[in-house]
Amino acid sequence: MELVLIQILNGLQYGLLIFLAASGLTLVFGILGIINLSHGSFYMLGAYLSLTLTSLTGDIFLTLLLGVPLAFLFGMLVEWLFVRHLYGRDHLQQVLLTFALILIFNDLQRMIWGTRPHSVPIPSYLKASIQLSDVLSYPVYRLAVAGVCVVLVFCMIYVIQYTRIGQMIRAGESNREMVEVLGVDSRLLYRFVFAAGVALAAAAGTIAAPIDSVYPGIGEPVLITSFVVVVIGGIGSIKGAFFGALLIGLADAFGKVFLPEFASVMVYALMAAVLVVRPGGLFGRV
Amino acid sequence: MLARPRLLVIIVLGVLLIAAALTPMLGGIYAVKFATRVLVLAIFVVSLDLLIGITGLVSFGHAMFFALGAYALYFISPESEGANALIAFPAAMLLAGLAALAIGSVAVLTRGFYFIMVTLAFGQMLFSLFFDTKIAGGSDGAYIYIKPVISLFGFQLFDLEDRNTFYFVCLALLVAAYLGLLLLVRSPFGRVLQGIHWNEGRLSALGFNTYVYKLMSFVIAAAIAGLAGVLYATIDGFIAPELFGWRQSGIAIMMVVLGGAGTLFGPILGALSFSVLEEILKTEGFVGPIASYWSMALGFILIAAVLGAPRGIAGWLQGQRGDRESSSAPGLLAAPKREGGRGTGKLLETEGLSKVFGGLIAVQDVTLRFAPNQVHGIIGPNGAGKTTLINLLTGAMRSSSGRMRLDGEDMTAWSQHAIAQHGIARSYQRTNIILPFTARENCLIAAQAHHPQALRFSRRRYAAAEEAEAAYALNAVGLDARVDTVASHLSHGEQRQLEIAMLIASGAKLLILDEPLGGMGPEETGRVTALLRDLAANHTVLLVEHDMDAIFAVADTLTVLVEGRLLAHGTPQEIRRNPEVLKAYLGRFGETESAA
Repeated sequence: MELVLIQILNGLQYGLLIFLAASGLTLVFGILGIINLSHGSFYMLGAYLSLTLTSLTGDIFLTLLLGVPLAFLFGMLVEWLFVRHLYGRDHLQQVLLTFALILIFNDLQRMIWGTRPHSVPIPSYLKASIQLSDVLSYPVYRLAVAGVCVVLVFCMIYVIQYTRIGQMIRAGESNREMVEVLGVDSRLLYRFVFAAGVALAAAAGTIAAPIDSVYPGIGEPVLITSFVVVVIGGIGSIKGAFFGALLIGLADAFGKVFLPEFASVMVYALMAAVLVVRPGGLFGRV
Repeated sequence: MLARPRLLVIIVLGVLLIAAALTPMLGGIYAVKFATRVLVLAIFVVSLDLLIGITGLVSFGHAMFFALGAYALYFISPESEGANALIAFPAAMLLAGLAALAIGSVAVLTRGFYFIMVTLAFGQMLFSLFFDTKIAGGSDGAYIYIKPVISLFGFQLFDLEDRNTFYFVCLALLVAAYLGLLLLVRSPFGRVLQGIHWNEGRLSALGFNTYVYKLMSFVIAAAIAGLAGVLYATIDGFIAPELFGWRQSGIAIMMVVLGGAGTLFGPILGALSFSVLEEILKTEGFVGPIASYWSMALGFILIAAVLGAPRGIAGWLQGQRGDRESSSAPGLLAAPKREGGRGTGKLLETEGLSKVFGGLIAVQDVTLRFAPNQVHGIIGPNGAGKTTLINLLTGAMRSSSGRMRLDGEDMTAWSQHAIAQHGIARSYQRTNIILPFTARENCLIAAQAHHPQALRFSRRRYAAAEEAEAAYALNAVGLDARVDTVASHLSHGEQRQLEIAMLIASGAKLLILDEPLGGMGPEETGRVTALLRDLAANHTVLLVEHDMDAIFAVADTLTVLVEGRLLAHGTPQEIRRNPEVLKAYLGRFGETESAA
C-alpha cells in the first residue's frame, strides 16, 4: 500500500516537472508555430546553472531565483539570433535548424562544464525523509520540488488568465493567425513567449538537478518525454500538457515498479493508444 | 511532379558513379571503408526522401527501420558461419517493412507536427526496448563475428568479408534503389504520393484513400532503410541500440535537406557531402583546434545552409521547374468530342439532413431531390449553410442527423473518398488544385482516381485512356493552350477552369461546384455557364453561386436556403414569383441596393 502511495507521489512529482518542460514546448508551438527540438537543451542549461550557481550561492532556491531570469535572457538571445528566422518557414527547416542548435549547445556545454557527471547538493534543511512505514520513507526534497512546481503552475495560470500578455497567449492558443491581426507587436510577444518557454524548462532542470546527477545530454530524455506529453495533450494546449504530463508521470512511476524493462515502452504505447482514439490529442484542436 | 533528371544532373551522377567504381583501385583500405559507409547512408537517405520530399511526411524516426535491418542480420546469423545474404537481406527488409506497417498504421493517422513527434517517439520506444531489455546484448550491443556470404544452391558465389566485393554490392544496391524509387515515383502510384504532398485534401476529395497511399509509402521507405541497415551491420559487424536513436534520424534528415529534398538524387549528394564535411571537420590536420568541437562547427554550417539554400545542392543543379518542359501531350485539337451517350448523371436525394456545430444549426432538416442530368442552383445569403450542405453531400463533414441517397443507395455513412469513388466530385470556393503540377498532370491524377485499380505501379495499362480524358477535359474548359503550364502560373480564372476540368476528367457523374464563377470576368462567365449546360447532358450539376443573373439563366431548378433551412425549391420562374423568397432574400437584396 505504501509502495503505491510512493509511486503516486513520484508520478505526480515527475509529471509536474515534465509539465514545466512540456508547457514551454507547447506554448512555443501554439503561439510561434515552431517545433523546437532544442528545448531539451534548455532543461540541460537549467541543470548546469543549478550546478554552478549552487556552488556560488550555496542554496538551490537562491539559484532558482537567479538562474531563471538568466535563462529567460538566454532565451531572448536565442530567439533573436536563430529562431526568429524560422517564423512561417516549413516544418522541415524548423526541425533542421533546431536540431543543429542541439549540436551547438551540446558542444558549448562540453566546452564550459566538461563531460564528467556532477551532483548538486540538497539544502541541509530539506535533507530529511518522511517515514511512511518501517521500511519505506519519502524524501522531503522531492515534496519541495513538487511544491515549487505547483507554485510555478499557479504563476502560469495567473499570467495566462489575468494579464494582457496572457490574453494574447490565449488568443494564440485558439487561433494563431488571429494574434497577428489584433495589432499586437508580434515580434515582442514571440520573443517573450519563447524566452518564457526557455525559463520554464530551465526551472525544471534547476530544481531537478539535486535529485539526479548533472551530466551531458541530460535534457534529451526530457525532450522526448515532453514531445509525448504534448502529443497526448494536443499540440498548443496547456491544459492538455498538464493532464498529459501527470498521466505520463504516473504511467512511468508505476511502470518502473511493476514492469521495469518495459516502463519506457509503456509511455509510448499510451501515446499510441491516445492517438488511435483521438489523432489530435486529448485537448487538441483538429 | 518529379521531372526526369536534367542532363547536368545525369552528368554529375555519371561522374560520381565512375569515381565510385574506381575507388577500390585508386584508394586504400580506408578510402574503401569510408566510401562503403557513404553508399550505405545514401541508400538510407534516398528512402527517407520518398517520405519527406515525395510524400511530404517528415519522419523523425526513420533510423528505427535502419536499425531493425541491422538487428535482423544479428538475429539471422548462425554462430559459426556467415548468413546467406540472399536470405538475410530480404529478411531485413521484411522485418523493417512489417514494423513500419504496424507503426505506420498509427503514425499515418496524424499529420504535420504530430507526425514528426509521433515518429520520433516510436523511434525512442524501440530504442528503449532494445536498450532496457536483454535482446541482442541490451545496452551493450552485440557483435556479428562472421560476415554474410552470397550463395546459391549451396555454392558460395561471393564472400562479403572481402571489402571490395562488399563495396561493389553496396554500389549496385544504391543504383538499384535510386532507379527503383525513380520509377516508383514516376508511376501512377508515385503521382498520387506527390499529389498528397501538395494537396492531400484535393486527392481525398477526388476519391483516393490517402491513408493507404501514405502507409504504403511509409512501408516501402522502411524496407529500403532496412536494406541499408543490414548493409551497415555488415560493415563493422557491430550493432547497438544507439542506431535507433533520434540523432541518427536527425542526421538523415540533414543529409536529405542538404542535398535537396524531393529530387531523389539530391539526398545521395547530401550523404556524400555531409560525410566528407564531417570527416574534414573531425581532422585536426585540416581545421586545427576546431576538430574537437566539430559538431558545433557542423551545426553552424547546417544553420547557414538551411537559411541560405533551402533547396539544397540539387536546387542549383536542377534549376527551377519551367513551363512546357515536356510536351508529350497528344494532339489536343484532335481530342474526341464525346457524344452525350457516355452514361447519365446521378440522382441525389436528402431526407431531413441536419448539421449542428455546438449551438449553431448550420443546416436544418433539409429534404431535397436533385434529378439527374439537370443543373441545380443553390442560392442563399452568406451564412445560409450552402457550403456546409456541400460538405455533407461530399462526406467532408458528417451530418448530425438525416439521410442521403445516391441513385437510391444510402450513402449517409460513406467516407469522403468512398463518395468520390461513387461518382460525386466537387470544386471549392477557394480554388483547390495541385499548384506545382501542370494543368495536364492535374487532370491526369483526376482521371486516375476513377479507374479500376487506381492504386497501381504500371504506367502502361490505362495511360492512353487517362491521357485522352485529360485532353478532353482541358479542351472542354478551353485550356488547350495551357496544357503544360504549371498550375501556379495560371491566372485565377484559369485555375478555376482547371478545377472544373479536373472534375470532368475524374469521370464523376455528379458535379458539385461551389461558386465557380467567383472572380471571373464576363467573357469567362459566359464560357463556363455554357460549359455547365453542356455538362448537364451526361452529368448532374449542383451549383452554388452568388451571380444571380448567371444562375437564373443556367439552372433547371433552384433551391433557396436561409439560415440553414430550406425556404423554397422549384424552377427559376417559380422562385422568381415566390413571395417568401422575395421577402427573405431577393427583397433584402433590393433594400440594400436602394439604401446604397
